[in-house]
Amino acid sequence: MKCQTIIDEKREEEVLIYAQKRSSLVDEIERLVESNNLTLKGTKDDKIIIINPLDVTCFISQNNKVFALIGEEQYKIKERLYQLEEMMDENYIKINQSCLANIKRIDRFSSSLGGAIMVLFDNGYKDYISRRELKKFKERMGL
Amino acid sequence: MNKYVKDYLLRGLIFSGLGPVVGGCVYLFIELSGERLVLNGYEVFLAIITTYIIAFVHAGSSVFPTIERWSKVKAMFVQLLSLYSVYTIGYLINSWIPFKIEIIAIYTSCFIGGFLLIWLFAIISSKIVSNKLNAKLMNIKNQQK
Repeated sequence: MKCQTIIDEKREEEVLIYAQKRSSLVDEIERLVESNNLTLKGTKDDKIIIINPLDVTCFISQNNKVFALIGEEQYKIKERLYQLEEMMDENYIKINQSCLANIKRIDRFSSSLGGAIMVLFDNGYKDYISRRELKKFKERMGL
Repeated sequence: MNKYVKDYLLRGLIFSGLGPVVGGCVYLFIELSGERLVLNGYEVFLAIITTYIIAFVHAGSSVFPTIERWSKVKAMFVQLLSLYSVYTIGYLINSWIPFKIEIIAIYTSCFIGGFLLIWLFAIISSKIVSNKLNAKLMNIKNQQK
């Protein structure tokens, strides 16, 4: 597939795909464009920032508040976790009642003493996969 | 309230009701096996309260391995100690095991052996699953490159 990028400040940004048939590459490009269009507003220290979900390691719920973890930073967002679950693409998966993880940001899995599976993210954040979500998680990972 | 204390109480309260149910089933099976069982009101009351507390502590103790600042050995030891104490005190005050050193020694060996065996099984199972997930994650990451 040929690829061409035209930088033109005057034109509206768009991605056009010419393909002979639908393929995983086409699906992936579509997903990437869609997720790139989706933005969230995050607040920290009274400052509002626009969050690209692709940058988010995971969304966590603490004391009835939802936060997006981006690297070392934590931004409060107004959407609830179940809303985010519906909004996000298949790269996001609920690992327990209070964490929606970005699979692309998972560094590795580790077994814990309690028999639970621990998820270690690339920013150092750790959380457990609850027993309730484990079956769904394994299915999503293709196990 | 501390997150772990809250979890302990929550898990304990959710599962504590199962204690008297299990206790009732044990008495039923003893009865069905033909053993003649005669209990007075005090013994029934004590059995219900004991099984309730045992189930509460048993479920609550499952919080210990999730305390991240504790080492695995410490979490395991505290859980073992907590379970052993509540079961042993419960069994002794109900006379489910006689208060004899040799019997308590056998009971203790069985308890610790059983505890370690269950943990070994849980650790091996979760190790297998985490290895499989790591392999899948590696595949996904390689496909994306």
